[in-house]
Amino acid sequence: MLNPILGLACLLLTAASLLVGPADLDLASSIAGLFAGGDAAAMIIMQEIRLPRALLALTIGISLGLAGAVLQGLLRNPLAEPGLIGVTSSASFGAVAIFYTGLAGASLYALPAGALAGAAVSVLLLLAIAARNGATLTLILAGVALTSLTGALTSLVLNLSPNPFASYEIIFWLLGSLRDRSMSHVWLALPLMALGWVLLGASARALDALSLGEEAASSLGIRLSATRLLVVLGTALSVGAGTAVAGAIGFIGLVVPHLVRPFTDRLPSSLLVPSALGGGALLLAADIAARIVVPTRELNVGVLTALIGAPFFLWLVVRARRELF
Amino acid sequence: MRTSPADRKGRSFITPPSVLPDFSPARRVIAPSFAARDLATRWGGEGRNETGGSAQGGRPPRGRRRKALVLVAFASAISTTSYAADLPRVMSMNVCTDQLVLLLAEPSQIASLSDLSLDPSLSFLHEEAAPYPKNSGRAEEVFLSKPDLVVTGTFSLHNTTSLLEALDFAVEEFAYDQSVDTIAGEIRRMGALIGQDAKAEQIASAYERDLADLRARQCSTKPAAIAYEQNGVVLSEGTLADSVIEAAGLTNLATELGYSAMTPLPLEQLVSHEPDIVIVSEPMTDAPALADQIAQHPALRSLESSRIGAFVPRGAWACGGPFVIEAVRALTALREEIASCAPAR
Repeated sequence: MLNPILGLACLLLTAASLLVGPADLDLASSIAGLFAGGDAAAMIIMQEIRLPRALLALTIGISLGLAGAVLQGLLRNPLAEPGLIGVTSSASFGAVAIFYTGLAGASLYALPAGALAGAAVSVLLLLAIAARNGATLTLILAGVALTSLTGALTSLVLNLSPNPFASYEIIFWLLGSLRDRSMSHVWLALPLMALGWVLLGASARALDALSLGEEAASSLGIRLSATRLLVVLGTALSVGAGTAVAGAIGFIGLVVPHLVRPFTDRLPSSLLVPSALGGGALLLAADIAARIVVPTRELNVGVLTALIGAPFFLWLVVRARRELF
Repeated sequence: MRTSPADRKGRSFITPPSVLPDFSPARRVIAPSFAARDLATRWGGEGRNETGGSAQGGRPPRGRRRKALVLVAFASAISTTSYAADLPRVMSMNVCTDQLVLLLAEPSQIASLSDLSLDPSLSFLHEEAAPYPKNSGRAEEVFLSKPDLVVTGTFSLHNTTSLLEALDFAVEEFAYDQSVDTIAGEIRRMGALIGQDAKAEQIASAYERDLADLRARQCSTKPAAIAYEQNGVVLSEGTLADSVIEAAGLTNLATELGYSAMTPLPLEQLVSHEPDIVIVSEPMTDAPALADQIAQHPALRSLESSRIGAFVPRGAWACGGPFVIEAVRALTALREEIASCAPAR
């Protein structure tokens, strides 16, 4: 029952996202504009501005939700999340480092290349730390350190850029936004994210076995190193590609798995699809809110997800205090 | 023409024709790099505008003769200026005052210019500024060079300005809120401050004449234009660009929509109003930034009935100065290309 409901929510929110925007388009002309026909301006607005935005919100939300669920399963840590453990901010830094230094010209393709590299390095680093010291707290603290470091480096690169607009883009890279994206961003990110979903999905059986502990998992025939590789590549692809086109959007991967877990049989594998769909729905909703909360000025969507996610995180920490210390 | 050795030496920087403010289209034409070039060739080259005409991506077709006249005016102004030794030495700390100083002062009068004067996207006279010393707007630099006069903008460096005033330096501020109609006054004011009244009068009145001539070409058909800058910021009511658009006989869509100053305009709004002309700006530097990508958004390119390009010569409307006339001229030419003023049927 859970998956159809969440899928329906994604569909409805995608439709709602297509209907929200500063241009006053009525329902009929919106629909006409989306499926060709109707007047030219409505068609451009629907197909070139609103459709890519809705698609990116949906697919980036799916990536973040799925990556959150997989990381929580692999690390057996309820607080693991791409944003919290520094994967998204590392992806941001990777994108910024390659794009703004002009190493690849002003080409958009520089963004995912850098972001994927940044995300992959950070996941590898975190796995190394987790392998050495399995405590929940160690991983979170390492993630906090990594987030601060890469955030500072991102700001540094942007401040040093001779382009006067670069400094303003610190906000975009640290808080994320889906404003004025285009279909070229969708084509840039979607194939990479989809590949990431496949890799993350392939780790499902191993995650179930890992919930019994690493030794039990090995005795069940799970090759841990292969699982780790799947998760590293899958997270780097899905989170890295999303961050490359929308900046760092946090907390989706933390909140969603916790929200849907009570409705599942609590096996890590049965959490993956609901978390992905829930992530898509949550980011779509947050992005709609970002556009309508203050009608004259659009908010950064990362601000809204943080407003929802940070108190939730705090509550989780307080609740799990005994386990942590 | 005076020929004293000192004079000739002092002038060697600014002797025509190499360093004179050169408004010739050959050098100043919109060089639409990046998307603007794409867009200009795409929209211009194929002549998609309904009124036809040979679309050239906004290149001003007329005005070579007029520019030659302006050049002659500058040349004669220079030949009649007085001996430089007793004129005040001036230090400019703002990119806009830099250019007024460059136009009016003798080279020996210029203590230093701001370092932004070399930025081609802000400073129309950036090549002329190259030979002079630069400052970065710090009070210490003023102490070291001890100029007779410091000129700066009201918009910049308030702390420095008040510190210098407290220390009895002569500081003159020039307002940032300008329009095509305040420019002649600013030129005359700068001329009076640095003892170049005659030259200022000549440049200012030539500017006023040109502006009046261009305004006379306006007609009742006023196509809608919009200046869409980095990050989708529009230049609307109260900006110099707004008054340039108005003087060129166009309507500024952003002002019509009730925007003022520099405000972000959602791309959807722009698309839904389908302006006749979208003036996008070129990247300010070679260093990439996401801000510049709005000009390449497919939604903008899909506007079939709009002309999209840089159109305004680089740096021509970043500051008030006689070169603003080049922006008015380019937009007037563009307007006449897309909407003829021929008497209505």
